[in-house]
Amino acid sequence: MIHLRRLQKLYKMGSSVVRALDGVDLTIGAGEFVSLTGASGSGKSTMMHIIGCLDRPTSGEYLLDGAAVSKMNDRQLAVVRNRQIGFVFQTFNLINRTSAVDNVAVPLIYGRKSSTKKASMAALERVGLANRASHKPSELSGGERQRVAIARAIVNDPKLILADEPTGNLDSHTGEQIMAIFHKLHAAGTTVIIVTHEMDVAAQAKRMIRMRDGKIVTDEILDEQRRSALQAEAYIAPQPVASPT
Amino acid sequence: MFLFRICIMAARSLQANLMRSVLACLGVIFGVAAVVSAMSILEGSTRETIERFKTLGADQVIVMNGSTGGRGSRGALRMSLTRPDAEALLELDSVKNTSPESLITAQIKYFEKNLSIQLLATNEKYTKINNYEVVRGRSLTKQDVTSGRKVCVLGHKVARKLFGETVAVGTRVRIGGLGFTVAGVMEKKGFLGMREVDTQVMVPLSTGLSRLFGTKYVQFITVQAERSDELDSVVQEVKRTMRVEHSVRAGDPDDFQVFTKKQVTEQVGGFVQIMQLVLFSIAGISLVVGGIGITNIMLVSVTERTREIGVRMAVGAKRSDILIQFLLEAGAISVFGGALGVLLGHGLTGILENMTQVLKTYTTGTSIIWALGMALSTGIVAGLYPAYRASSLDPVEALRYE
Repeated sequence: MIHLRRLQKLYKMGSSVVRALDGVDLTIGAGEFVSLTGASGSGKSTMMHIIGCLDRPTSGEYLLDGAAVSKMNDRQLAVVRNRQIGFVFQTFNLINRTSAVDNVAVPLIYGRKSSTKKASMAALERVGLANRASHKPSELSGGERQRVAIARAIVNDPKLILADEPTGNLDSHTGEQIMAIFHKLHAAGTTVIIVTHEMDVAAQAKRMIRMRDGKIVTDEILDEQRRSALQAEAYIAPQPVASPT
Repeated sequence: MFLFRICIMAARSLQANLMRSVLACLGVIFGVAAVVSAMSILEGSTRETIERFKTLGADQVIVMNGSTGGRGSRGALRMSLTRPDAEALLELDSVKNTSPESLITAQIKYFEKNLSIQLLATNEKYTKINNYEVVRGRSLTKQDVTSGRKVCVLGHKVARKLFGETVAVGTRVRIGGLGFTVAGVMEKKGFLGMREVDTQVMVPLSTGLSRLFGTKYVQFITVQAERSDELDSVVQEVKRTMRVEHSVRAGDPDDFQVFTKKQVTEQVGGFVQIMQLVLFSIAGISLVVGGIGITNIMLVSVTERTREIGVRMAVGAKRSDILIQFLLEAGAISVFGGALGVLLGHGLTGILENMTQVLKTYTTGTSIIWALGMALSTGIVAGLYPAYRASSLDPVEALRYE
């Protein structure tokens, strides 16, 4: 599904060049549940932006579902984001002046869909919020807002869900509910990539990729044993990833 | 469908900041209100003027005081027309009748009744030229004029107000302190030439000039041509005769002006065009100012909604979608302002009309469409730069914006 070859992203900061991504090779198959973790500045956000087609690599190749995304123009990227990718953000990023169902409908509008009501309601139903459809974001709790955001991400039935710290602004109980939705989406066949620095969240994925200084340092398939070990570690030291070993 | 949805989005975001939207389009509101009310007044007065000139006969040539040479205002004010001029013009073969005329506002008294009227001093030809019929008694006669009799002929309304149903002919009235005998009452006519004749009282020219005006000059001479289809050549003949009468040397400008219905209508049209140009310039300036206001608010809005723009891009909005959305918002603000401006302008002219009582206004559909169209284009032009700024945001930067 995702093929990254020698991916580089360079930023100029005055006279020095920052290597946000420094030659990343990665393949993620369709239907995988991957967590991308690392300290701030490790390059995981840049990675997410490029995988999410919000940004283009400086060099290297990115194939999404066989299409050379790294060579596409802004307009084509917008279409790819609309049809194939669903974003979930830490701060929900809902439009506050419109109702939940109208927020969910935004991708459908930009996708030039003729009717939006039915699909939006169906997406809200999948996250269990159909009864709050007409509420504005300000009338919803944090967890409910994030569920609306997830409904917006899945309304176009994308193959890939990209979640950037989806539980970062939520208490642990609500965070678990949100993670349960991602598990459900994964079970239904959607590729899910979660970017997080919370180890207990990262450990819930089937595959965990750790980054540091723009490079992938570990890339492991998590079995039950490893998962509980990581979760125990997270429980003892709440922020172990801040200085990964 | 997509555009319709984008419109709804634009409307919602304006609604969310209603106060700001109203303030942003204040310039447009007043600009459009000014255009609409000024155009209504212009249209109203033009219609009224044209309406009045309709009663001016197609076979008539009006000779007036003042030069057409345009040598300052002094020339325009100098009186030069006299009774002998009218007689000289009557000598021309192409001229059927001439009537020298002078008008003044005066008071007419009948016992305790007192009325403000237009006093017209003229000769016996006036009623013939204008097809103005007498209904009671008689009109002015040649003898009235030559011997300067103190008789008067009342307009329909004047007779009605002073005498009601009782007989007016033969009674004595006082005009400007002088005693006059009512010789006749005219028919109900409304407007003749440029004025309402029903509130007019006619006296013999000689009597009027010597006793009431105290001058030998008349204000204008109405010339009736034998044939209305040769009016242009009559005008030339009238001009030649007048120059001879007034001993104007070759090369010097006329010390009089000559008008026909056609010319007056054209002049009114020309005046209207100039006024329209002035109005549109003023409107243009106020709309530019209004446009700057909209640009300003839209720039604030773009900055404020940077993150929202990032999210919209993330879920698949193309740069062109964002551009259209912000352009529509700017357009919606200004059309909203334009609509308020039309209402305000229309209300304003209504108030003006009621307050002044003389001002006639007329708001045409064309002027409303013009005003709204100008408002819309202002909004779109004003929105171009902010919309471009919004559409050229980098999605990653926009999403990071706090």
